[in-house]
Amino acid sequence: MNKNNKSQITEKNDWYKLDLSAIVYPTLQRKDFSSVYRLSVLLKEMIQPEILQQAVDITMKRFPTYKVSMRKGLFWRYFEPNHRPGPFVMEDIQNPCMPMPFKSNNRYLVRIYYYQNRISLEAHHSLGDGSGGMCVLQTLCAVYLRLLGHKIGNGYFVLDVDDAPDPEEFEDAYMKYANALVRPPRPGETAYRIRGTKEPFYTLNIINGIMSVKEVYEVAGRYHATITEYLNSVLLYALLQKQNNEFHLKLRPVKLAMPVNLRRFFPSKTLRNFISMIYPSIDPRLGVYTFEEIITHVNHYMRFFINEKFLRGDITTNAATQRNPLIRVVPLFVKDFVVKSFYSRIQDHNSSAGLTNMGALKVIDDMKPFIERFDIYMGQPFSSRTNCAIASFEDILTINFASSIVETEVERLFFRKLVQDGIHVKIESNRKSEQFL
Amino acid sequence: MSYCVNCGVELSADLSACPLCNTPVNNPNLNSDEEKPSVFPEHKGQVDVVKHRDLAVFLSIVLGSTAITCALLNLLIFQSSLWSLPIIGICVLLWVLAIPAIIYTKLTLYWSLFFDGIVVAAYLFMLTWLTTSDTWFLSIALPLVILITLLLEIILFLLLHFSISFLTTSLYLVIDIAILCIGIELLVDANAKRPLSLSWSAIVLTVCTIITVALVTVLSRSRLRNEVRRRLHF
Repeated sequence: MNKNNKSQITEKNDWYKLDLSAIVYPTLQRKDFSSVYRLSVLLKEMIQPEILQQAVDITMKRFPTYKVSMRKGLFWRYFEPNHRPGPFVMEDIQNPCMPMPFKSNNRYLVRIYYYQNRISLEAHHSLGDGSGGMCVLQTLCAVYLRLLGHKIGNGYFVLDVDDAPDPEEFEDAYMKYANALVRPPRPGETAYRIRGTKEPFYTLNIINGIMSVKEVYEVAGRYHATITEYLNSVLLYALLQKQNNEFHLKLRPVKLAMPVNLRRFFPSKTLRNFISMIYPSIDPRLGVYTFEEIITHVNHYMRFFINEKFLRGDITTNAATQRNPLIRVVPLFVKDFVVKSFYSRIQDHNSSAGLTNMGALKVIDDMKPFIERFDIYMGQPFSSRTNCAIASFEDILTINFASSIVETEVERLFFRKLVQDGIHVKIESNRKSEQFL
Repeated sequence: MSYCVNCGVELSADLSACPLCNTPVNNPNLNSDEEKPSVFPEHKGQVDVVKHRDLAVFLSIVLGSTAITCALLNLLIFQSSLWSLPIIGICVLLWVLAIPAIIYTKLTLYWSLFFDGIVVAAYLFMLTWLTTSDTWFLSIALPLVILITLLLEIILFLLLHFSISFLTTSLYLVIDIAILCIGIELLVDANAKRPLSLSWSAIVLTVCTIITVALVTVLSRSRLRNEVRRRLHF
């Protein structure tokens, strides 16, 4: 058990430090933006809100790091256990991932919605990443089904609600593994940025593409790529085409910001953030890339960068700032100002779109007959652009685009390429027909 | 089951047009009058308004107690002059300035600015009790407060009703600075009972005019405008 964990336990869980990633998200908070993501599960029967509320009450006790409120210290923010009533289930809304002011919703940083046969969990990214959130959602779903009288066991993302939380679930796993001897520099070139008409306040446009995993697997296999590599390449291809179609004085590299789940490489039970970003990119200034060349490039890039050594170096680079004693003693408002301006001027310009792939979601056999599919949304983009999230369950693969701009060119080019490759795509959207161009 | 003729994707039953290309669904086998259950909710959510009640109460108590204590001290102990007036005025001023931010957030920005102007004018009027004459208030301070409030209201109107960009905001500010400088010089001349004329403000006016012409040119030429925005973005 490392020093951080020890200190957290001896404090009798009176408060929790924010993990290395979580430090950044609250600084980006604006009146019209919060780092909120959404995970949804579609069941095969209609949701009963009263039962769901009971399930939430039971489940949240098992996840103390999700039943917290955000507080400000002099130097850092921290989480405090939240004993206020809630969180309460709400009927779903048309515009998911709304901003989440820290003092609203009884100071809870999670929201649970239901609509027809869908349960959705929205969580502030400072609480944890998609894997942590998926544990909460699947455990909630299991408890809900148990309350309906079904026999559901524990396993994979479903945790035992009668168990006490494991201290390893609270750990800041970054600090445990940030021990490389060098800090690799970050590529910082400005990427192509989508120019679009910003939607009014609170609008989040969603386009879901639903397809067969087998079909996508076969098509990706034709290009000698994995599903992630293939879909990555399709998005890069769409962005390259969009840049070419636009008026521009100078071409820019097209880059994707792609989170990698570090639990695959570093053993950790943490339910908090444990991801690192990689940036697969194509530079059109080097020449015209065919789709096959893009796939080859992405394939090589991902094999080169997604491994334990490179990721350890990346974590070490991130941790260096938090470990620096001079930075630690800087008051929070100065840190907020510096981080926010760094993010909006450099980090946000570093990618053209976000793409996350949670892969094939494992669900215990008891639950499988009740689940239709999962949806994942990366949430409101920080600047006007589109984000793409992918997840699959059994043979259903869903690609969820969330965008804060009116135009749908990226989504159109993306799905048309899939259709051209012979994949059957079904589209769902919350856009109204007169709304988009 | 309907498909988009442009994109080749299948569309969910509740869609009346393809979300990717806006092509309307035209499936003769489907009854268009039939109500289809929507995949997404129709109801739009609103973010809760955060009330800073604790901070508002705390601020009101601190400012109120400061004002009352100073007034009592002035009345009962240190009675030589009306020294508590500026302090009480500052407390009232800070309280009024804080209203739109933390106490009554529904107040529109126009009204907030209007009340800020009134309270600043009232504070300056209060200061006339401490000075031998109030002519400075009537001839300079009050017209200046009215002018500044008016200019701020105009800028606010322009920012809220026209497109906001680095260039347009700069244009509004430059024009306002020019008007303000002219106003200040004319008021000073009037107060000193000199004939009204422009001297230093004419230089400011000239510079502002040059900047305004340059900005209007940049704004009216889309290529030039995009180039400047690209180079000056931050």
